[in-house]
Amino acid sequence: MFTDSFLQLNTIFISIIIEAVPFIIIGVFISAIIQMFVSEALLARIIPKNRFGSVVFGTCMGSLFPACECGIVPITERLVRKKVPLQAAIAFMLAGPIINPVVLFATYIAFGSSWQMVFYRAGLAFAVSIAVGLLVSYLFPEDQLRDYVDKKVSHYHHHEANQPARRITFFDRFKGTMDHAVDEFFSVGKYLVFGALIAAAMQTYIKQSVLLSFANTPVTAILIMMVLAFIMSLCSEADAFVASSFRSMFPPGPLTAFLVFGAMVDIKNLIMMLSTFKKKFVAALIGCIFVCVFVGALLISGGWL
Amino acid sequence: MIRFLILFGFAYLFLHLHLTGDISKYINMRYGYLSFLMIFIIGFMAVYQLVKWNMEGSKQHHTSEKALFGHDHSHENNTWWKKTVTYVLVIFPILTGLFLPVATLDSNIVRAKGFHFAEIDNDKDQYANHQILKPDTSQYYESSTYKKMLRQDMEKYSQLNQLDLNDDNYLRALEAIYNYPGNFTNKHISIMGFVYHGDALQKNQLFLFRFGIIHCIADAGVFGLMVQFPHAVTYKDDTWIRAQGTLSETYYSPFKQTIPVLKVNAWHQVQKPKSPYAYRKY
Repeated sequence: MFTDSFLQLNTIFISIIIEAVPFIIIGVFISAIIQMFVSEALLARIIPKNRFGSVVFGTCMGSLFPACECGIVPITERLVRKKVPLQAAIAFMLAGPIINPVVLFATYIAFGSSWQMVFYRAGLAFAVSIAVGLLVSYLFPEDQLRDYVDKKVSHYHHHEANQPARRITFFDRFKGTMDHAVDEFFSVGKYLVFGALIAAAMQTYIKQSVLLSFANTPVTAILIMMVLAFIMSLCSEADAFVASSFRSMFPPGPLTAFLVFGAMVDIKNLIMMLSTFKKKFVAALIGCIFVCVFVGALLISGGWL
Repeated sequence: MIRFLILFGFAYLFLHLHLTGDISKYINMRYGYLSFLMIFIIGFMAVYQLVKWNMEGSKQHHTSEKALFGHDHSHENNTWWKKTVTYVLVIFPILTGLFLPVATLDSNIVRAKGFHFAEIDNDKDQYANHQILKPDTSQYYESSTYKKMLRQDMEKYSQLNQLDLNDDNYLRALEAIYNYPGNFTNKHISIMGFVYHGDALQKNQLFLFRFGIIHCIADAGVFGLMVQFPHAVTYKDDTWIRAQGTLSETYYSPFKQTIPVLKVNAWHQVQKPKSPYAYRKY
């Protein structure tokens, strides 16, 4: 009834789901906790007002969160709703999956205990988050997107200003956190399923060897590695080990492109981003990331960095 | 109610995979604790939904809560068909996970993953590692420790005249062989793996591989040895074979270098093992 290759596809699909669900759960709970326990006023107070400051702040916040690229989308959406400036939230989303202790340590280990790739990866990720954050803030006037996100929330009542008479007990907050986490699990879960399905199909049916045979100049090598990272949709904790298996074929430039682009954009998180943001915005965002990673990797390839 | 069922389904999926042990066919058990925790966390979410559903009836929005907090639930599940799509999608992995048999990665995946012999050429980089044939755990140790460990492994495995590659030593022993092929020359080695016909092989040569798993099946890679039989053989891809023989080296043109080859003197076809994968241990 089912062909072997379909069963293998299903096995890879289920394995991606099993690998990603724990991180999604962590993501939705962090998001729910932010919703319940962190007020907009607090965020507004600590985030720098100016454009550049807020982007750097977002990047640094991202570094503190050990989230992977699928878990971070719901947190980012929550931050945007909490009136965090868009550029800061985007910088946070891009830096989060890469610049964190777990991922950098995995990268260090994967590349034979050498700091070189860790340095390239973290450096490029940092630069790309800031550059893309700034680009976004110039391309998309704040209100335009905020309208969209707010509109999605058709009955978003904003009651925090007029506190109800009853004190909010810890139990209420706990209940609220659970409700948000469950809701978010469903809204994020369906995109994870869809993305994992496509990624598994790509892994089963697309011949990587054909792709790789085009990678004989620095430019094509970088492009191919970015496409590969997108298709494989690996978790940012595991991708360094896969990248290190390409070490014999590629210099650091394309490998860095793989490690940075893959952790920022891949099939499963693209689908998730599409659920959160406007299509046009996602397209522009990916365009910016693509160009920045490409240029950065080219600089590394050319030995300018 | 349906949310309770789905959450319960997920918790049950994880529980089922852990109880039957099938989870090891999806992920490296080193990360098993994460999915094990999920049984309880998702289970708790399911119970929470059930209790809530019981207390509130089918009312979707609890008014007092709505007054307490900004209420932004169900922001996109507002039409019935959107809800249906969500639930169908989320139920899908539960069903295929529970009811479809677990497939084992085989030569199809080797081909799709690009068993790209032609590009493997480490002339330009002496430190290059060939993940495809040769497991390289230099990844896991500091370089001096790593060298010491390699040497220890080499001494450990090359001391005996007979080396059996099994589930436990598969990756490390293979690594020792690829790093110090000279020390293993003429040793008796036995290996079990599935058949893969690479490029530019003679009629009596083939590769025996196993998949090595880092984190989950999606990042698996293949590891193994070239084997050479005394006469031409006609095994199909994915046939599992246990073979033993003595190690020597041969020039393999697609790699443009010499690689170890096992000159087999005894072999027999075997059933696919219960745990077909080799896992990375730190």
